[in-house]
Amino acid sequence: MSAPESRVMVLYCPGLAGPRTARAFDQVLTAVTAFCPAVEAVEPGVCAFGARGPARYFGGETALAARITAAIADLCFESQAGVADGLFAAYLAARAAGAPRADTASGICPVLVIPPGRTPEFLARQPVSALAGQDATADLAGQDFAALLSRLGLHTLGDLAALSPDDVASRFGAAGETAHRLARGLGSRPLAVRPPAEDLSVAQEFDPPEPLSEPVVFAAKALAERMHEGLAARGLTCVRVQVRAVCADGRENRRLWRHDGLLSAAALADRVRWQLDGWQVPAPSTSTTSTTDTKGTTSIPDGTIGSTPDGTTDGGIVVLRLVPDQVVHATGHQLALWGETVVSDRVARAAMRVQAMLGHEAVLRPVLGGGRDVAEQVNDVPFGEKRQPRLAVGAPWPGRIMGAVPGVVYPFAREADVTDDAGVAVTVTGRCVISAAPAWLAADGVPPLRITGWAGPWPLSERWWDPAAARRRARFQLLTDDGRAWLAAVQDGRWLIEGGFWLRAGITRRCPGASCGGGWPGAPRTSPAQRRRCHNDAHRTTWLPQRRRWPGYGKPSFRGPSCTATPPIASWTGRPRPVSS
Amino acid sequence: MAAEVSRSPVSQAADPLRDSTLPVLPALRDGTLPVLPALRELLPRGGLTRGSVVTVAEFGLLILALAAGASADGAWCGIAGVPEAGMLAAAGLGLDAERTLLVPDPGHAWPQVVASLLDGCELVLLRPPAQAPAQVRQRLEATLRRGRGVLLVVGDWPGAQVRLRILTQGWTGLGDGHGRLRACCAQVTADGRGEAAATRTRWLWLPAEDGNVSAAEPPDIPVPERHLQVVRAG
Repeated sequence: MSAPESRVMVLYCPGLAGPRTARAFDQVLTAVTAFCPAVEAVEPGVCAFGARGPARYFGGETALAARITAAIADLCFESQAGVADGLFAAYLAARAAGAPRADTASGICPVLVIPPGRTPEFLARQPVSALAGQDATADLAGQDFAALLSRLGLHTLGDLAALSPDDVASRFGAAGETAHRLARGLGSRPLAVRPPAEDLSVAQEFDPPEPLSEPVVFAAKALAERMHEGLAARGLTCVRVQVRAVCADGRENRRLWRHDGLLSAAALADRVRWQLDGWQVPAPSTSTTSTTDTKGTTSIPDGTIGSTPDGTTDGGIVVLRLVPDQVVHATGHQLALWGETVVSDRVARAAMRVQAMLGHEAVLRPVLGGGRDVAEQVNDVPFGEKRQPRLAVGAPWPGRIMGAVPGVVYPFAREADVTDDAGVAVTVTGRCVISAAPAWLAADGVPPLRITGWAGPWPLSERWWDPAAARRRARFQLLTDDGRAWLAAVQDGRWLIEGGFWLRAGITRRCPGASCGGGWPGAPRTSPAQRRRCHNDAHRTTWLPQRRRWPGYGKPSFRGPSCTATPPIASWTGRPRPVSS
Repeated sequence: MAAEVSRSPVSQAADPLRDSTLPVLPALRDGTLPVLPALRELLPRGGLTRGSVVTVAEFGLLILALAAGASADGAWCGIAGVPEAGMLAAAGLGLDAERTLLVPDPGHAWPQVVASLLDGCELVLLRPPAQAPAQVRQRLEATLRRGRGVLLVVGDWPGAQVRLRILTQGWTGLGDGHGRLRACCAQVTADGRGEAAATRTRWLWLPAEDGNVSAAEPPDIPVPERHLQVVRAG
């Protein structure tokens, strides 16, 4: 007889059994590693480890299994645990743990522990179909072997185990003998545990805490060299590197930097410097920049780290740690032969500095791609990431609006009201028929502008097969009497302003106050002299996006061409005039 | 041979800056960043003088067109504080999207952001989130002179070398329920300090029908028309 089978715990995650859930299952493995470092990933959704040691540490197999399932539940995954003698029995126990049983009060308990020595008894009740999928019976085509046993009248593993080993071996050969041993609770293969991942991170402690950034940056250079040596010795490189700086008072500043195996030790030390500098940028409490992942610390920018606004230093850097993230095999880096703009060091340095201040997503590089709307033809990619258009460039994209492209494209379309002469909202039917000619445009609550020309609706119905991305809209181009042109769309019965073609707002100097009056119906009329007086410094400030109102309204200084159907150049009315220079 | 080719335009044209079809000579480019040919007449040296501040009253195609010439010539362009910059239109004017950095929201630390951008980019387009104090302006101008870059500002910037404004604009091609926007004729005026003190006004197609910027011919130029409007009945 072979040695008695060792206690094995199997964790089975029913939701992660597919081949596409490897990443999620990796999280589960990491969580299990916190309880027991030597874990074998048996198949997608199933992992196993020796239960004897951890069970003694955590106070029993049931307690251990309960702790682990609770930890997996924290990751929002469902799991079942089974403990038995040998991998095969433990696997069956884990599968059976999810089934409702009479012996538990709650009906379903995700843990099933088979007491030591009673594994053959548990196995005897299992159907022979449990043998399907086991390595030992793979050459018997799994399910067929189980079906054959059923046809022979052997419905449970107990029936199979009751046969004499010699008879089974003579009838089914070596594979049958293996199945027979499994059915008796013997002969499970030993676990092939994966070694715990090596810690490739490097750290430097500062004792006493270092209040100035320069010595930390100096240490970072040596640290970066150590990290690169460690990675290179294993033939690895990392996609990103995480820099963590811990303050004496426990605050921690961590940020990921793009690495791609391209950064030298000095360049990495620069990142550390920028990160520490960025930590010092005073941030007012009203700041809404959510892209920074610093802990919102404030300090005076005098090179002192982690000091409070009132100038009292509450500690320096205690630990600096560099953690390689997304470790991959080092395969080198090759630039494309053509068509790749090389980012010079000078530009990269500037962009990274700004990223250090505002966060990774704050510096973008536009990528021109395909698409039907102006907004979706430009994708902004954070600096340092792969520039790839979201939609294919080469496709024809029927439905695009041809001609002029708006110079102002709002990141988020703005709501507007478009009404006809009678003041009734203009609507577009499902068959793309417009209810009336648009006459007034009001956006963002400012007085309406007279529409002097319009074209549309140009319908767009795309991605009907995808409920999340499907949309139907009718696009318009509108021309208002202040000389501006607008790109508008009707979607879900609402008018949206997507962009504008203007070069400048309607009037030369804008008067937000009511004293200067405007050119819309019902506005208070004021004399030109009054309007000039209104041009004080406060009213002459430039338009800022925070003010959430349109630039410039009032009396138009230039009327666009009166509408004609003739081609563009000829559509101007009035006599030619020489260039004024 | 190369020297001959580069010198020949000078001998043919009395003033190379007046003839917008000629390439800008390397000697003239040392101190300036190139702009689109149609915009040369508006600027004192036929280009954006390095280390200078150029303002445009409001954000629109004009400031993108100012940046386009240098970007097409190989300069990096940073755009700070303008989340609604239409990069597709800018690319149509010649701005190279590959060599563009966008910082849509520079936040409260915008002077540091702009200074960092000026270290890396030759051209920075900025709409300050707030009125810049004189001290901040002076520090940025010092950075600008050191880095030999050009700062294009949307809005007001006291002490700017060149100020550009659009006086009038008129779009063509749109009818009453038909047609589409094709081109815009705009009157642009430039003034400033020093050599840019003289006011210059030009009519431009911005953009022209082919998407570029070109000088408007006299017959094309619209006449601003006064439309009577019923203000109050009775």
